[in-house]
Amino acid sequence: MSTHMSTMKWLIRRELWEHKGAFLWAPMAVAAALILLIGGGFVYGMASSGVIHLHAGEGATMTITGLPPDVYAKIAAVAASSYLAITAPLFLVLPVVVFFYCLAALHDDRRDRSILFWKSLPMSDRDTVLSKVITALVVAPLATMAIGIAAALALLLLGLIGGAIRGVNLIAPVLANINFYLSPLYLLSFLPLYILWALPTVGWLLLVSSWARSKVFLWAVGVPLVILALLAWFDFLIGRFTGLSMNVKWFGEEVVARVLLGVMPGVWFGESNGAALMNQQQGFDGPMLLGVSYATLGTPGVWIAAAAGCAMIYGAIRLRRWRDEG
Amino acid sequence: MSPVLSARGLSKRYGKHVAVDNIDFEIPAGRIVGLIGPNGSGKTTTLKAALGLITFEGELSVLGLDPRTQRDQLMKDVCFIADVAILPRWLRVKDAVDFVEGVHPRFDRSKAERYIASTKLKPTMKVKEMSKGMVVQLHLALVMAIDAKLLVLDEPTLGLDILYRKQFYQNLLEDYFDEGKTIVITTHQVEEVEHILTDLLFIREGKIALSASMEEIGQRYVEVMVPNEKAAAARALQPIDQRAVFGKSVMLFDTERAGGLSRIQLEALGEVRHPSVADLFVATMKGSYA
Repeated sequence: MSTHMSTMKWLIRRELWEHKGAFLWAPMAVAAALILLIGGGFVYGMASSGVIHLHAGEGATMTITGLPPDVYAKIAAVAASSYLAITAPLFLVLPVVVFFYCLAALHDDRRDRSILFWKSLPMSDRDTVLSKVITALVVAPLATMAIGIAAALALLLLGLIGGAIRGVNLIAPVLANINFYLSPLYLLSFLPLYILWALPTVGWLLLVSSWARSKVFLWAVGVPLVILALLAWFDFLIGRFTGLSMNVKWFGEEVVARVLLGVMPGVWFGESNGAALMNQQQGFDGPMLLGVSYATLGTPGVWIAAAAGCAMIYGAIRLRRWRDEG
Repeated sequence: MSPVLSARGLSKRYGKHVAVDNIDFEIPAGRIVGLIGPNGSGKTTTLKAALGLITFEGELSVLGLDPRTQRDQLMKDVCFIADVAILPRWLRVKDAVDFVEGVHPRFDRSKAERYIASTKLKPTMKVKEMSKGMVVQLHLALVMAIDAKLLVLDEPTLGLDILYRKQFYQNLLEDYFDEGKTIVITTHQVEEVEHILTDLLFIREGKIALSASMEEIGQRYVEVMVPNEKAAAARALQPIDQRAVFGKSVMLFDTERAGGLSRIQLEALGEVRHPSVADLFVATMKGSYA
């Protein structure tokens, strides 16, 4: 068992060696750009106008000059609960990285035939494929979250110090706000949900990656879309002649969207109660967001799709076992 | 002692093409076997079957295990370099050593580092920065540091210069090989391996053309330098191959051919020598390129 764990550790480390650029440098570059642009904005704003703009997520911008105490408290509360929102662009990069990582994961080493080197070492195809699943579903999101939290803290710090210099000292109220400490935990709490929603996409992409001899992207994206288009066409024809209708929309939402878009963080909000999300006065309400998100597990769709994702991962393992690259 | 590798009725078909055609062979422990055949003769396919990389028909047992169903267990004791050695382009020398040490219980790090130190490889170098020969050197250093019971080398020295090739085979024999290990080698450069081989396995069009130990071959095949005046008499004894060198005919005889042929008969024709594996190979394979 211990050697098993150690093999998995090395397999995951190998993925990081190979994909350092995608998993670390890409989010770090985005984080650095955020700090430069937004942080630079703070500094420039303060230097030129003496007015502080606090970006409280979702486009809400407040302009502060001199303030009554109750407004202070409110701004501090928004800052403490919403400072992570500023890293949203990182979570747009993540799905792109994970998508293309999965597409290449079981294909690149077959294309350059280095698979024969890996297969000459005592590690099973199951462990190899699972290390890629773990990298896509756990390591990549955790790396993005860690970088995001660090960038958000840096920006918050910049903002707080900037504010303090201009006489709007929010440092104490922000640090005293429990949400400041809980926000990273709320963010991390989304991981299990993300894994469940991303499983069908990761499973499908790995299956295609393990199966296709070439043009992995075309197969992975083309097949679901072509099937969808064909179904829509049949539906149109059948509808014209018989008046019956297939539920093409269902196929699009429950199959195509789940196998292609599942790696998008927050994709579950499409299934959640939108009204509850609109009503956020004091910045982000972490527990409420988590509650709304996890409520989507009440429907069978996500579970069935996750199970299908696991089945496709199993298929990818079997395919890799017998793919002859001779 | 049970054989390290035994095949019975081993066949592999790719569509209509039969790559390996119902072959039987056994390789005992402690041997260095040269698996020799022209391109497309089925030698790589045979090795891939033994390494559990492809499906096949028939029976194949490697270290007592079925490579189809027990591959994960098998790979703890088997190591191989398949075909032309290819390592992933992004891999660094030091990471490669760390990785193999991490996943392989039989890997000797200091040995690998010693081999690497004798090359121009640097720890931080990536595979994509290396020449082809350097990639092979790294791969060989990793594999030679693994204490495997069975080592399969499919064209291991392709792309290496002659100095390093000689060095490699010398290391293989002196540093790596012992009676508990078995090595199977395929190569086109037969003359470089023949002095380390203990057994020969010629394969031709998916069938075993010859399977014998080097001693048996030395007894069975005889090369004779025949002067011109005796050439006609020699030809009457049906040499399996002949060529002309400096006005003499060099003829290769199989003493076990139909009717038999004694060494004394041959010695009467001229100077008698052991044939080289390459010449034997050419004689055995005649017609397979036609």
